[in-house]
Amino acid sequence: MTEHVLDELDAYALGALDRAEAERVAQHLSTCASCRNEAAALAEVVGALPDTVPLREPRPALRDRLLEAAKADVRSPVRGAAARRWSVGAVRPWRLAVAAVGAVVIVLGAADIDAYRRLVAVTAERDAYNKTIESIREGARTWYMAGLGSFSGSGGTLYDPRAPGKRPFVLFHDLPPIAEGKVLTIWLVSPDGTWARAATFRPSGEDIQVIEINSEVAGFDRCAVTLDDAPWGKHGTVVMESRIAPPTPAP
Amino acid sequence: MPGLQPPDDALLSALAARDLGALAALYDRYGHLAYSLAYRILGESEAAEDVVQDAFLSAWRGAGTYRRERGTPRAWLLSIVHHRAVDILRRKTTFRPAPLELAEAQPSDDDTALTAEKNVEHRTVRDALEALPQAQRRTIELAYFGGYTHVELSELMGVPLGTVKGRMRIGLQKMRRALERTR
Repeated sequence: MTEHVLDELDAYALGALDRAEAERVAQHLSTCASCRNEAAALAEVVGALPDTVPLREPRPALRDRLLEAAKADVRSPVRGAAARRWSVGAVRPWRLAVAAVGAVVIVLGAADIDAYRRLVAVTAERDAYNKTIESIREGARTWYMAGLGSFSGSGGTLYDPRAPGKRPFVLFHDLPPIAEGKVLTIWLVSPDGTWARAATFRPSGEDIQVIEINSEVAGFDRCAVTLDDAPWGKHGTVVMESRIAPPTPAP
Repeated sequence: MPGLQPPDDALLSALAARDLGALAALYDRYGHLAYSLAYRILGESEAAEDVVQDAFLSAWRGAGTYRRERGTPRAWLLSIVHHRAVDILRRKTTFRPAPLELAEAQPSDDDTALTAEKNVEHRTVRDALEALPQAQRRTIELAYFGGYTHVELSELMGVPLGTVKGRMRIGLQKMRRALERTR
């Protein structure tokens, strides 16, 4: 277990730690029940602070907007389910492992070319999954990007492995096909809003796809994916984002 | 009748089961509070609405990840709102410590604000915060509503980091005791 973090818990509860400090505290809380109990008690106190704010009513249209956006999730149940399976905190790795192994057995029994192709796909899935597990074990930092618009239901998780020599990568799920000539670009966004191109790729057509990133992730605090005309120049429409994306530029 | 309203935990369970009615109910229960918090931090109605929508969608998509031992559903939901709003605030500015007067010039509680709810718990929280010595109260308010890190507050207020931590600790402990007395 890492060193206790009682000295930092008040600032943590108030959201007054920088990202690295907050991650260190969160990491400790995941393994220390006593600090976790104290953090939960402080979270309740801090959770009462909004009661000191004068109440304001948002415009009624906000409720409709929210429910419409949620309905869009429901309308894509297959994709929605996949997205939930892979979203941060909802990963069920052991289920995927069992499913992947089971699928391999079934596919081997069929022993035809389709089965072979499927085996390759499943193996790729399993490898991607193993990579993810390994990163999580190593305490990787992760950002989940949710698909927007025509990419709704898809998503990707950026993993930044802590282990030396391991490169960051993004595990995408349910990427829709894109038009011929178009590319997808992964961007790293710094706290001051600077966008840095991290990788360019096209969807493989598989349910999940891993894209490795050659640059350092340190110093960036969010990421996004854009649909572009070319792997250079100004970025196009934001189709995936972690947290809240900057305004979508005109295509 | 309040007795007929489903508890927050039940609403989150329903949310995890993709029940849109539960999302609507959760919004009806906490939407105005979430918006008030986001507006207090950002001072802009449009940005505050975006934060609220984003936060409720996050709850909708991530309800299955909620763990009761980490706090109540209300605290969880408001923490998402808070994180989102502070995130935007930090992105909007270069976030170098500003003069204290500017930092404290947060959205005013002007006439357009609805009257704060007068229930006992809200009044207790406000009283507990206002009862703190000014230095402790300012530290907590600037951290929570102003989005300042403890290191930035140390610079902003011209006091050692240990003093900032101490003010946070003592202030929150006092509030904790005050809230416990009423529960």
